[in-house]
Amino acid sequence: MMARPNHDTQRMDDLLASVTSDLLGELPQNLNGNAIHVERILLEMVRPDPVQPRRVLPESIHLRFHQNQITPTQALRELVQIVQIAARHRGRPFNNLLELLPNADDERDDEPVATLTPEEVFLRDLVNLATTIRDDGQVNPLTVVDVSQGVTRLFRIETGERRYWATWLLRDFIPNYTGDGMIPCIVIPANHSSVFRQAKENTARSGLTAVALARQAALLLLTVHGYEIPTYAVENDFYRQALELDLRGKREYTDAVLSAMGGIKRSQFSIVKSLLRLSDEALEMADRHSIEEGKLRYVVGVPAEYHAELVRQIIDFNLSVKQVKELCEGDGSEQQVNDEDDVSPSAVKMAKVTQAIQSTTPQEFARALVRQEGDTSIARARLQAMKKLISETERYLGED
Amino acid sequence: MTRSFVFTNHKGGVGKSTSATNIALGMVQLLRRANATNPRVLIIDTDSQGHASLITTGRKNYGADDSLYTVLMADRTNAPQTLLNCITQSQWDPDLHILPASPMLEGAERELTGVAGAPYRLVDPVSKIANQYAAIIIDTRPSFSLLTEMGLLAATDAIVPVEPRYLETVGLTSVIEKINDIREGWRHPTLRVSGLIVTKMDSRIRGHNHLLAEVKAHPVLGKLLLGVIPANEAVSYAHSNHQSLFTYNPTASASKAYMQVVASLVRYLLKGGE
Repeated sequence: MMARPNHDTQRMDDLLASVTSDLLGELPQNLNGNAIHVERILLEMVRPDPVQPRRVLPESIHLRFHQNQITPTQALRELVQIVQIAARHRGRPFNNLLELLPNADDERDDEPVATLTPEEVFLRDLVNLATTIRDDGQVNPLTVVDVSQGVTRLFRIETGERRYWATWLLRDFIPNYTGDGMIPCIVIPANHSSVFRQAKENTARSGLTAVALARQAALLLLTVHGYEIPTYAVENDFYRQALELDLRGKREYTDAVLSAMGGIKRSQFSIVKSLLRLSDEALEMADRHSIEEGKLRYVVGVPAEYHAELVRQIIDFNLSVKQVKELCEGDGSEQQVNDEDDVSPSAVKMAKVTQAIQSTTPQEFARALVRQEGDTSIARARLQAMKKLISETERYLGED
Repeated sequence: MTRSFVFTNHKGGVGKSTSATNIALGMVQLLRRANATNPRVLIIDTDSQGHASLITTGRKNYGADDSLYTVLMADRTNAPQTLLNCITQSQWDPDLHILPASPMLEGAERELTGVAGAPYRLVDPVSKIANQYAAIIIDTRPSFSLLTEMGLLAATDAIVPVEPRYLETVGLTSVIEKINDIREGWRHPTLRVSGLIVTKMDSRIRGHNHLLAEVKAHPVLGKLLLGVIPANEAVSYAHSNHQSLFTYNPTASASKAYMQVVASLVRYLLKGGE
């Protein structure tokens, strides 16, 4: 017959207590301290923050990576393929990533960075960082938050996502990697994690795009309003929830939020946040090409269906703030509708122009357009807008 | 540096799995009681019989996808990730984790024979996750096979459970010599014999008392003696209930003796292995 088990929590405690008293006196600080410390952590146990406002990877790769559809190696492989295609189109094919680095003997390396796609620039910088880590070691540890649960050991990056990707690139894509697949990290306990610290780190660095800053503002607003910040990848609509919020009801956080945003004024904070009204496509393009807030604020004012086209024109023609303002506000005035006869005066003018089309040569029209706008880029932008109007008018006539 | 304790003896039935599992749980509970930030302990079961896996997780049908076998057969680059995927939580305590054994480990030795770097297929991935644990406990099979060598290579400290019988103690020196061979032959200078646990001690038997006295009087073995675990029927009842000895009967003489061993090992951890 089996003996009856003797479950007794109190007795178990007594047993532990009988050997604990000596140990407690000897316990070193680093064992029971809930302090920040540096550890070397396996790369696979570290993951970027899915809601980090600053995007490192292109949006589509970012989303699939954070939805666990692709591994870090696959994400980088897709990025490399995108860059290889772009580079081939521009006559700079490469097979080895190290070929992206500047070579003093190659005249092509004198090419200005402006002619490279954002992905090419990013990958080139990443390869450069990876080779630096290979040659000099990882001098600057990442900052990670311990978000382990059960047997799943996981550390979420608070700062240092580029170094993380550079280390993966070094491990899987660059020859002569002699590391052990570990990365030094400053580990912050989960209860010490702070969206404000992350924001300060972001805004203190150069190269934070206007769109990333807008996401940052949204994240801070959502946090102070008690929204739960998810631990998975989010679409832009998540950040857009902040468009309905402001700092008025949260005076106790106002200083902390504005300070985390780099010490900006409250009015500027609202403008930055309003950039989230841009359409998804416009947001992605503006983020990839680092379009300034000064230009985007005018784009936000026009109907959402034109956002992507306007941002594309800003990129293609490198429009100045003044040019963007004229383009956006001009378009707005032309769309004002005359309530009396349901046709705006500008539409009447455009219709009359079609009657004079036979008596105009392309050269004359081009000269007139440049004279009117005072700039070739704006003239081109006007033509693009006109082409779009003509094609949509044709479609409208067809439907009638 | 995380200490890894391998429980080894080429004799079967001396209490390797019982000692490994109960000491691992004791460490978790004692570290937690001492408010340690990281009280987690990992058991690596290298014995294809899977006794340690069975009593701590309630199952032993681990196979090609979720066991030590999976880790040993993984591509070297992916081995750490595979290891992380195969570690499972014990039923005893959320902070006691297990890399379970599989009956397929029997074939693993044959499959790995002649594979370059085969003896390092455990230590390489384990070394990359070791700092996530306060300690690692490795349970071995009752023979000096490739898997036992892997366990020894992954360890910093060897602990030898032994029964107080004449032939057992005669074999003890050969066990220690074998561990020393591994240290010298595999150039693993950090491996050392850190303890001896006398198990199944019955003080009513004159021979047991005599041999224990001899061990204590021995200039080397006497210093290594970590504890004496009395023969106790609570041990087998705890096993059959898939419970730890501490949970099944904390007042049993074996529970108290094991807790003293745990205290010594935790003190050793706190002193950084000195």
